[in-house]
Amino acid sequence: MKDQLYKKELLLTVVFFFVLLFFGHFAQVFVLFPGLQGDAAEGIRMMWGFPIHYILPILMGWFGLLGVTIVMAVVLNNFDDEMEELAESLEGKDSNQNK
Amino acid sequence: METYEFVLPSLWMGLGVVIALFAIFYYVGYISAKKTTTAEDFYAAGYSIGPVANGLAMAATWASLATFMGVIALIYALQAPFVFLWIQWALSIPLLTLLYGAALRRMKAFTPASFIKVRYGNEAAIVSIIWMCLAMVMYALGQMIGLGMAFEVLFGIDYAYALIIVGVATVGFITLGGMYGASYNAAFQMVVMTLAIVVPMGAIMKSLGSAGWWFPPLFYGDMVPGMLERLPDFFDMRYDYRWYFALIPAFTMGPIALPHLAMRIFTSSSVKSARWSVVWFVLFLGLLFGGSYTAGFAGNFFTAETGMQIQPADMTIFALNVYYNPAIVAAFVIGGAVAAGLSTIGGNLMAISGLIGSDFLGIIRPAMESKKKMTYGYAALGIGGIAAILLAFNPPEFLVTSILWAFGLLATAVAPGILLGVWWKQTNKAAVMVSSVVFGVFYIIISPHVLGDIVIGHGLVAGLGMSGAMVTVPLAYASLIILSLIFNKMGITPVDLETKKMIDRIHGWGSDYDEVRYNGSIMPVAIVLICVVIFIWGLQPWPS
Repeated sequence: MKDQLYKKELLLTVVFFFVLLFFGHFAQVFVLFPGLQGDAAEGIRMMWGFPIHYILPILMGWFGLLGVTIVMAVVLNNFDDEMEELAESLEGKDSNQNK
Repeated sequence: METYEFVLPSLWMGLGVVIALFAIFYYVGYISAKKTTTAEDFYAAGYSIGPVANGLAMAATWASLATFMGVIALIYALQAPFVFLWIQWALSIPLLTLLYGAALRRMKAFTPASFIKVRYGNEAAIVSIIWMCLAMVMYALGQMIGLGMAFEVLFGIDYAYALIIVGVATVGFITLGGMYGASYNAAFQMVVMTLAIVVPMGAIMKSLGSAGWWFPPLFYGDMVPGMLERLPDFFDMRYDYRWYFALIPAFTMGPIALPHLAMRIFTSSSVKSARWSVVWFVLFLGLLFGGSYTAGFAGNFFTAETGMQIQPADMTIFALNVYYNPAIVAAFVIGGAVAAGLSTIGGNLMAISGLIGSDFLGIIRPAMESKKKMTYGYAALGIGGIAAILLAFNPPEFLVTSILWAFGLLATAVAPGILLGVWWKQTNKAAVMVSSVVFGVFYIIISPHVLGDIVIGHGLVAGLGMSGAMVTVPLAYASLIILSLIFNKMGITPVDLETKKMIDRIHGWGSDYDEVRYNGSIMPVAIVLICVVIFIWGLQPWPS
């Protein structure tokens, strides 16, 4: 149980770290894959009237990040509950052994 | 091209709005002063601020005067790529909370230096306090100069008088209210800032012909064809991939170590509440930033449409409001800009106060009672503010031009010690000090601001610290890991059992200790390998 929780903490931290970076730096996707901006045949790809490579990083850096932080709050707060439960049970065990 | 100079149409209206706002800030400070009885109240608002108010305060502390003036001017000059640079600032507090904020909140720290003191000892804490204070003074100084200049241009008074009036008035209400006052004032200031940028922009966008004027941060797409006709390259991603990647070491990893942002996590009522504050922070900041991008777009559109160049570019949003909106609206926007500057200075001064009044005094006078420490905290806050005002009279060129550059300095000299200190038990005190001092100084040396001749990169990437951070940030992390392993092997300041237990405790394990936890080799080896690749990449010539 302890080992599982420890691995879960590391995994959640690493995953959320990269997900946050991905959403906050979404413009990089369009530099790495310029074809996503559109091509010579169809012109610039548009969304809501904007070039997609302009509006999508703004949306990802706002509503995308908002979604990620909501998931982060729920998941990490649940994780804290599991952690507190474990810490309390371990302390209970220690105090019983000391008796 | 014809120029359009900003002139405030009604001096008294502008003054009236600013005076009314200051009256509210002082009232909040006065009420807050009554609640401040302990050091916990003064530095962390009694660890009691709820998620919405704290989320607003986080956003206000982070969004500085630059949101109203600098960023809009830079979008005016650099167009869309600067928007992409600005978007990633929203990562600051979410990353800080994820990587160490929650852990440090559990130990009830006042500032990140409090953690460094417990983790590595007094000497390492003093090194970090020096770096953080330097960054905070640069930051507060930049805001103070900006406010002085704004008052000078807006109200037509001499810069020196403008600086004294705005400086003294600002330091006064922050000193009065401590962290309670700074927090509640910042929450109120965020509301003012957001209304001041978003609502008047709606009227401006309507005048410019946008059908989406009712929500200006996102719905001006119908103006894009007109913009592309007038400025075909406005949306171009004109830099290579490395330019966008360099934003991570220079601007994403640095603010993680900003004490005034970390302190906003520490003011939360609990770790869980801090995480919900982050959600509100992203929502409010996104709205404000969206308004800024629209103002930058509108400034360019205005110039292309009318053929008039807005002068000075920093005043773009004020000029647009004077041109399209009634005088009272322009005065309210000025109030919003003032609120933006004040909320950031409030955070900066509270951080200086915490670093000096609590952390530094805790090192040199550990036995001092809490009440007395708080008195010194008030004094440090006042002195920090006065120092910023005095420096702002004749500011060193280096400090004025390099606020963004300072983020790379923190990413190099402070962030590695905090992050590895929380996540890797082997992180060694002597290694932290060597890495922080050597690579912090190295970052300063290879910037164009000090020596000038020894520079990595050139132009904007060097001036903002992007090319420098691509070299020094990976060096700092890799060297800290390698030196820690070497020093621990040689028995130089080895990590003791109590410190290792503390690391388990701040992760929530209570009294349960396991030597293997946060002590693996995969993470440090992976970080070193990634750092080597980024370092080599950063050394390649930067295109001009």
